Amino acid sequence: MRLEIEHITRHFPGVRAVDDVSLSVEPGEVHAVCGENGAGKSTLMHLLVGNLRPDAGRIRCDGQEVHFHGPEDAFRAGIAIVYQHLSLAEGLSVAENIFVNRQPRSRFGWVDYRALYRQAGVLLDAWQVDLSPRTQVARLPAAQKQIVEIVKALAHTPRLLILDEPTASLTERETQTLYGIIARLNAQGVPVLYISHRLAEIFRLADRITVLKDGKSQGTYAAAALDRPALIRLMTGRELPASQRDGRPRGEVLLEAADLRGKGFEGVDLRLHRGEILGLAGLSGAGRSEIARALATGSFTAGELRFRGRPLRMAHPADARGIAYVPEDRKQLGIFPGMSVQDNLLASSLATAWPGRWYRPARAAQMAREGQERFRIATPSLAQRAERLSGGNQQKVLLARCLLAAPELLIVDEPTHGVDVGAKHDIYRLLHALAGEGMAILVVSSELPELLSLCDRIVAVRAGRTVGMLDAASASEAQILAMIL
Amino acid sequence: MKKLLEERMYSLGLLLLLICIAAALLFPDTFPSFANFRQILLNLSTDTIVAVGMMLLLVAGVFDLSVGSVVAFAGCLSAWLMYFLQVPVPLAVAAGLGASLCLGAVNGYLVAYHQINPMIQTLAMMGIVRGLALMLSGAGIQDLPYWFNAIGQSQLLGVQMPVWYMLLVVVVFSFLAQYSVFFRRYYYIGSNEQAAALSGIRVRQMKMTAFVLSAGLAGLAGILLASRLGAALPTLGRGLELRVITAAILGGASLSGGTGKIPGALLGALFMGIVANLMVIARISGYWQEIILGIILIATLWLDKSFQQRYAS
Repeated sequence: MRLEIEHITRHFPGVRAVDDVSLSVEPGEVHAVCGENGAGKSTLMHLLVGNLRPDAGRIRCDGQEVHFHGPEDAFRAGIAIVYQHLSLAEGLSVAENIFVNRQPRSRFGWVDYRALYRQAGVLLDAWQVDLSPRTQVARLPAAQKQIVEIVKALAHTPRLLILDEPTASLTERETQTLYGIIARLNAQGVPVLYISHRLAEIFRLADRITVLKDGKSQGTYAAAALDRPALIRLMTGRELPASQRDGRPRGEVLLEAADLRGKGFEGVDLRLHRGEILGLAGLSGAGRSEIARALATGSFTAGELRFRGRPLRMAHPADARGIAYVPEDRKQLGIFPGMSVQDNLLASSLATAWPGRWYRPARAAQMAREGQERFRIATPSLAQRAERLSGGNQQKVLLARCLLAAPELLIVDEPTHGVDVGAKHDIYRLLHALAGEGMAILVVSSELPELLSLCDRIVAVRAGRTVGMLDAASASEAQILAMIL
Repeated sequence: MKKLLEERMYSLGLLLLLICIAAALLFPDTFPSFANFRQILLNLSTDTIVAVGMMLLLVAGVFDLSVGSVVAFAGCLSAWLMYFLQVPVPLAVAAGLGASLCLGAVNGYLVAYHQINPMIQTLAMMGIVRGLALMLSGAGIQDLPYWFNAIGQSQLLGVQMPVWYMLLVVVVFSFLAQYSVFFRRYYYIGSNEQAAALSGIRVRQMKMTAFVLSAGLAGLAGILLASRLGAALPTLGRGLELRVITAAILGGASLSGGTGKIPGALLGALFMGIVANLMVIARISGYWQEIILGIILIATLWLDKSFQQRYAS
């Protein structure tokens, strides 16, 4: 199939998420769409498969203009999409997931399980995926679930496959499986539209690359004509900001972990001083988020954790007074979606640091306003429901919430995940200001440039262990990669 | 207009007012009298007291099906102690209330600390507690001490005491839910439990407390009811749990948690009470009452959703 997107535009209140973007996907090619988080990649995908309607512009399949009113329409036209987030029925088998809603039937209309497993087995073999069709999906590791998701899309023999950041959770072995699948699809003339911000994968897979930035297309390039620095320049539109950490004094040790062990990590040693920003670098799945969470909530099983020089044994986050934690999974673990921005801002204060027993509306409103102003949270009013804010503003709400409770230590997991460029810089500026005031900050990030420009020191994590420490001022991306790979 | 649609308390309050005006015009002789309203309030006092506790649970994202059984059990236990063991009235009442709190603590402990589904846990408890009430009172206990009957049968300013207790419970809990930091935390728990825990709220402890409080209110309602009737019957409060959940949901709560205000429980119960009263006045058969209440519940939620969707877009 040849897919053409012409001058497509989509507004959301206050932003042009996709602004006059054109690109074409030719038969048999891998076309990568890349850009920073918030550049408009996901919105573009939703427009393509009909989850969202464009405000302007056209989409053509093989020259014919199409109007999709939902994913089913796109499906019928031969466009299959694999989303970033898994949508499998965990309790069912691999085969039942692959043939969801169209299981083979026997003569009387019952599900024909023998045919189901046989057909699924044939399909898995054909794509050289080493999985049993009878395995229950819940028993598979995340990476293999992702593969099941992809095979589910392939079962429809698509004429165009869209992969939305598919390697987000894949290990090396599954990545190889995926590359094999893509090569075979291309050989059949089926193009793949590949959304990612992982540069290594893009250069390895893509024939052509379209770069998005702030919703606008920065042009389509042959992959061979670009190198890594050039692509980064296109994605960010600038060189990385210079570090701002010069001349900040480092205080006494605030947090010290010695041989900490728990679920997902073993052997963590680190020290965090007041006034310091410490980065935690590692591949996804290496245990960096688990470590951050254990430090914040005390969910470790062995080893020693000292805070302010005293051993810390926390049964529950409420005991972690003085420690604030912004989790990675904003939706699941952070935001109270149906509650107002004000209520969201005050959650931590109400939980641990509220002066007195009574909720005084005037004081609450004033605290919330202070948080809003300091963090430049863009919202029509403090009564707005938090779920209606953009990702960047939600992230600012979470940070502001923590800081209204006046912690000594702030632990942030992926501070700029899904956050637009402007908000990103606000967040960096704030973290620096906070460290300047003497707060200790631990940052987990999968983006090495972010760690390098944000942190004073970087701790490398590999397979659940801390494997070394680097001074951010003199370290390079290559050095960190060498430690975490 | 926006506020009217978004806040159930206002829309329900307005609807109630319209219904009352219409009813006063249609039945000028029977509906708008002090005696009639006194009766409506007395009839819904038990439901409302229990609905306040249920509202609290629903805000926290859980619910309790055993409250109807607790109503019966609290009355039967107190009556049993007074009738068979000649326990003094205050002690018997305290024992009834204390036992209710314990039942709530069992529910709360198992739901909050052992992640047993509240539906299953409280469904099982509903049967167990009803059985205990039957064992204690058999076919029912009558001839209760004068001072026990006085609790629910005396009057203040021409209105029976259960109505005053109901108003007291509504006012106290409304104030607490709005202005105490402790109760504010329930909204966070219901809105996103994991986020609440990570913000430092002691989710499990607070959930258990909600079950205890709710069961305590059910116990209070049970004692008032037994006292008002002058008899403890094991069948008291049968079907009450669903009526009470209906009232709380009409009053703005949601089964997914995080929303609802305490006065909404009173408004929801009042709405059901007035509709029931009107159907009696209009001589509509009792069978129709349940059908009509069911239709009203569905219509309310459906209208609410469609208004919200229209407003959101």
